[in-house]
Amino acid sequence: MKQKPRVAVFDFADCEGCELEIADLEEEILDLIEIVDIVSFREVMKEHSDTYDIAIVEGSIMRPMDEKRLRTIRSQAKILIALGACATMGGVNKIRNQWIPDEVKKDVYGTANLKGNELFDVFQTKALNEVVPVDYYIYGCPIDRDEFKSVITAVALGKKPEIPRYPVCVECKKNENICQFELGAFCLGPITRAGCKAICPTHNSVCEGCRGLIKKAEAECVKEVLERYKLSYEDIRRRCTMYNYGRKECGYDE
Amino acid sequence: MKQLVKTLTKKDFLSFVNNLIKDRSYKVVGVQAKGKRYVFDALSSAQDLRLNYDVTILPPKKYFLPQMETLLKFSLEKPFEEKETLDDTPRIIIGVHPYDIIALQQTDRHYLDQQQDNFYKKHRENTIILGVDIQNVSERSFAASMKTNITDSGFDLLLTDLGTTYAVTIGSEKGNKLLKKYATTKEATNADLKKIKTVREATAKKYKQKIKIDKKDWSALLVANYQHAIWEEHSDVCMECSSCTLVCPTCFCYDVKDNVSLNLTHGTRVRTWDGCMLKDFTKVGSGEVFREDVKERYRHRFFRKGNYLPERYGFVACVGCGRCGIACLPDIADPCNLINELAHFESDKETGRYFIKADTEVSEKGIIHIPRSATIKKITPFNETDSFFEIELDDKKSLGHKPGQFVEISVFGYGEAPFGISSPPGNTPVFEIMVRQVGNVTKKLCLLQPGDKVGVRGPLGNGFDVKSLEGKTLLFTSGGTGMVPMRSLINYVLDPKRRSKFKDVIILYGAKRPKEITFMNDVERWKKIKNVQCELTVDKCEPSECWGGCTGLITTLFPKIKADKLDSKNTIAVVIGPPVMYKFVIKCLQTLGIPDDNIYVSLERRMKCGVAKCGHCQMNGVYVCKEGPVFNYEKLRHLPEAFE
Repeated sequence: MKQKPRVAVFDFADCEGCELEIADLEEEILDLIEIVDIVSFREVMKEHSDTYDIAIVEGSIMRPMDEKRLRTIRSQAKILIALGACATMGGVNKIRNQWIPDEVKKDVYGTANLKGNELFDVFQTKALNEVVPVDYYIYGCPIDRDEFKSVITAVALGKKPEIPRYPVCVECKKNENICQFELGAFCLGPITRAGCKAICPTHNSVCEGCRGLIKKAEAECVKEVLERYKLSYEDIRRRCTMYNYGRKECGYDE
Repeated sequence: MKQLVKTLTKKDFLSFVNNLIKDRSYKVVGVQAKGKRYVFDALSSAQDLRLNYDVTILPPKKYFLPQMETLLKFSLEKPFEEKETLDDTPRIIIGVHPYDIIALQQTDRHYLDQQQDNFYKKHRENTIILGVDIQNVSERSFAASMKTNITDSGFDLLLTDLGTTYAVTIGSEKGNKLLKKYATTKEATNADLKKIKTVREATAKKYKQKIKIDKKDWSALLVANYQHAIWEEHSDVCMECSSCTLVCPTCFCYDVKDNVSLNLTHGTRVRTWDGCMLKDFTKVGSGEVFREDVKERYRHRFFRKGNYLPERYGFVACVGCGRCGIACLPDIADPCNLINELAHFESDKETGRYFIKADTEVSEKGIIHIPRSATIKKITPFNETDSFFEIELDDKKSLGHKPGQFVEISVFGYGEAPFGISSPPGNTPVFEIMVRQVGNVTKKLCLLQPGDKVGVRGPLGNGFDVKSLEGKTLLFTSGGTGMVPMRSLINYVLDPKRRSKFKDVIILYGAKRPKEITFMNDVERWKKIKNVQCELTVDKCEPSECWGGCTGLITTLFPKIKADKLDSKNTIAVVIGPPVMYKFVIKCLQTLGIPDDNIYVSLERRMKCGVAKCGHCQMNGVYVCKEGPVFNYEKLRHLPEAFE
């Protein structure tokens, strides 16, 4: 058998929940290590190697030291996969970008002396692809385990992974849910990338857009729907802040 | 035909249903409440039934064309041990409204045609439909205007609520037996029969939504308004979510993909619901999208319902259930509103036909989704992206194709892609294709080795009518990969056994770059044959490239045709090339005086299923995989989506 690709999992600013989703594959981990060698994965193992083919990176980039580390990872990996909302688009960490980093620091750490401490040297939050080229994206907060498996198997087979470019509504309709709008709620499903099996609306809560917007909040159709449901542009802007702050259309082409 | 009608008390009906559930030889599903809406779902007690429902969120099509269905299982370790998967526990669906019954009858026409879908067929055969007359009308439904609020066929049993009893109309022997076995019934009296009529008439009066144009006139209305601004006005606010097609009982298009187990030992090929409102619906391997503009997709959906399917099958593919009206957030999907709006406008006198009836020879019957096993014999790379493949069918039978037909080649785990057949027909199990690396399947194919297995479905589609070329001068024009299927036809015609049947042959062949002229050996051979003129050109040639021929677009070759050879009325022209080429070449042919009727073209779209089911290759009302890929230009030129 040909040599298995070596995989390393890394994290930056995040909750490690997406890595936990990988760990939660449980007995399927055995299938995973049939096809790849996991050489580094801090959350689940103590071994570490700097020789790897595929880097799976969770989290967003907050500081110069993160940028440096990410560049090193990129230079060592043949394939870089962004894992989860923080890595693919900045995610909740970008909420902070509404304010000036120094002011945020003052709010959080008060008068503590952080000068010269690179751990606290934060700049505006960045997604991975704002620093280095990213080959593949696994969206979501957290990621969908089945999608993770399909991306990993695709990469192992040398295929380009297929990530949906249509909205959550498609999966929501297949699940035969009552539309959240019909229930009087405001759901981001119609403008959010599918792939999550519409898990939130299926469990009767609205979509928060964690897989990224596929339409601009300024699009005509969005305006029309906001108007019909008596919502304002301010409402949608606020709702998009949670995962999509500063992002317009996360793109058909990523 | 007079149908047998029985009655049973409501209490007896509940025990009838509970008896069915207890029996366990059926999966019993029925209409139940889901919040304020209704759904068809597995039934655990007759008490859960809500037969007075207005409309379900999804139609019962989910039991016949499930959201996701496994077509076959394959092993990645032992090539070609694929198995078809069919679940065949019988099912009873309780509470289907007449419009949904009619929608299923319509879907039958499509899925049970010559190229029968055995999955759909099995589900249909295994299902007993227990219909119910509508009692409460959905706010958005306009079934009464569509005359789909009542039906006298398509069910095994049909219930009508008569107050204290149900009348049961028996629609089939299967239904009759079921009733005899599990229920206590009485013969319906004349009063009962009268009451059924009264109940139906009373319900029909409850419809608030009414359509102003009779369904038989939809087609003409749409055709007259193909270019109307309404398509753009409405689609400007379209969310492109395809909710309208997903909830539609008469929409049946699907996508196919291969899923692979995490340990890469095995996988499944599944089909999932797809929607023509989604941008990627018409996307081909090279990235091109054929219905890119949302306006075109929006129009397509209405034309499919009101013109394309009516032309093909004779019925309007809308049953007035109103589901799309409920599902569409900007509320632009409801055909009732759209048709009524169109009716307001003064119609153009413009007439068009967006459908072509072709007598396609159906070469594969029965199992249409399962590929045959084949072995790669030889791979010859032409350049970095294009390779020539010789493939042998493992059953050693001849492929039996006509020039112009195509095959679907599978690499399990990667998927399936269509390829024009490049070899002429012959009594050999070996056939030839050219593979250009554009997507997952083609890239993988080029990494395979002779001896590796692939799957083959086909030959598919409508090829050239080679008999009609006899006695004619033949002008073949091909650009780029268009030479692949053209080579099959040229080699057929130039075969020494047949050469005398045809007059002079003129071959014009263009490519972007010299290295993309892929069949140089053939070209050299053709040039030596008597009464064959062969001219080559490339769009561009770098000084470093070796090229002795012309440079310039394919149209620059036309002045080189030796005029004395061309008796335009007696010449057949065949054109195959990239989409952009047709318009220009056809103009040249017309300048030469070749009538449109003498021009044949072969088109490429996203031929996914190859058997006119999945909908991806459709241009207007035409399935390229069925009516094409070879078309007579005279018939095709009126089709706006063919050469856009």
